[in-house]
Amino acid sequence: MLPFLKIMARNLLLGPSTDPFPFAPAKTPEKFRGCAAHDQTKCILCGICKHVCAAGAIQLRAAEDGSGVEYVLWHNSCVFCGMCAHYCPTGAITMTDNWHLSHLAEEKYTFCETSFVAFGECVQCGARIQPRPQVIIDQLGARSPDRFLLCPKCKRESQVKHSAEISPIQPLEQQ
Amino acid sequence: MRKLISKLAPRSPWIYRLNAGSCNGCDVEMATAALIPRYDVERLGCKYCGSPRHADIVLISGPLTVRVRDKVLRVFDEIPHPKVTVGVGACPVSGGCFREGYSTGMPTDHYLPLDVIVPGCPPRPQAIIEGIIKALDVWRVRLEEDLCCHF
Repeated sequence: MLPFLKIMARNLLLGPSTDPFPFAPAKTPEKFRGCAAHDQTKCILCGICKHVCAAGAIQLRAAEDGSGVEYVLWHNSCVFCGMCAHYCPTGAITMTDNWHLSHLAEEKYTFCETSFVAFGECVQCGARIQPRPQVIIDQLGARSPDRFLLCPKCKRESQVKHSAEISPIQPLEQQ
Repeated sequence: MRKLISKLAPRSPWIYRLNAGSCNGCDVEMATAALIPRYDVERLGCKYCGSPRHADIVLISGPLTVRVRDKVLRVFDEIPHPKVTVGVGACPVSGGCFREGYSTGMPTDHYLPLDVIVPGCPPRPQAIIEGIIKALDVWRVRLEEDLCCHF
């Protein structure tokens, strides 16, 4: 009987349902997918994020002096699908819950996530290789961390030296 | 008199939604921002209007498809000055995932002057409200400077 009285009492107790957003911070759900963030200390410049990006928001621009790569993520093109974060092997890209992205049109091209990722150096000869942050050393270079920090040429040499130590090649005459 | 009007007008902007070939995602969020009591953009004095001639703030969504381009430009010219244009979503400014498609040319901001951009695909209603508040500041400055009023 009189079910609306129950609803009325409940509404009076609960208060207004309007989110007081512009005057108070809005509630963001826990797993909300906002703009992406890039951590340059974890990036290995594999470029898989650029490959999977459906909106073409990610650019990898080589620096003019060849010392590294400028990583640019344009929020104005991003569709927040999260594929880059899903496929990033080192977790350098993460989706934050930041949705405060509205900006004036003057900042159209400057409103982006920009970071500079420097190339790595071969420990032996100093040649230019992909960056080797600790994350990828733990993942891929766990078996031989020293060799993982070498350039391909030094790596081949070290591998040959290593296998020669294990099983030296016997000259034919001795056999 | 004009000063008084320019002081009072920003308290009640009339909003006009313009769909430039959008996928309807941003339009749903714009409607949500007005219709659902949880977001309720109308408590800021905003009102969605049906005619472009009454509009103060234009919310544009979509990458401006070839088919709708002329119509959108014609409607945009109907909106009286001074107006503020808000690009809602990733499409108006960059084309989003429709960029370089067969049915879209250049994105909207190559044809229309955008003032405020709310990126997202789609942006959440609170983000649209945030963009409208930024647009209000732009509009206030424009009213005070009396720009583009001599049409």
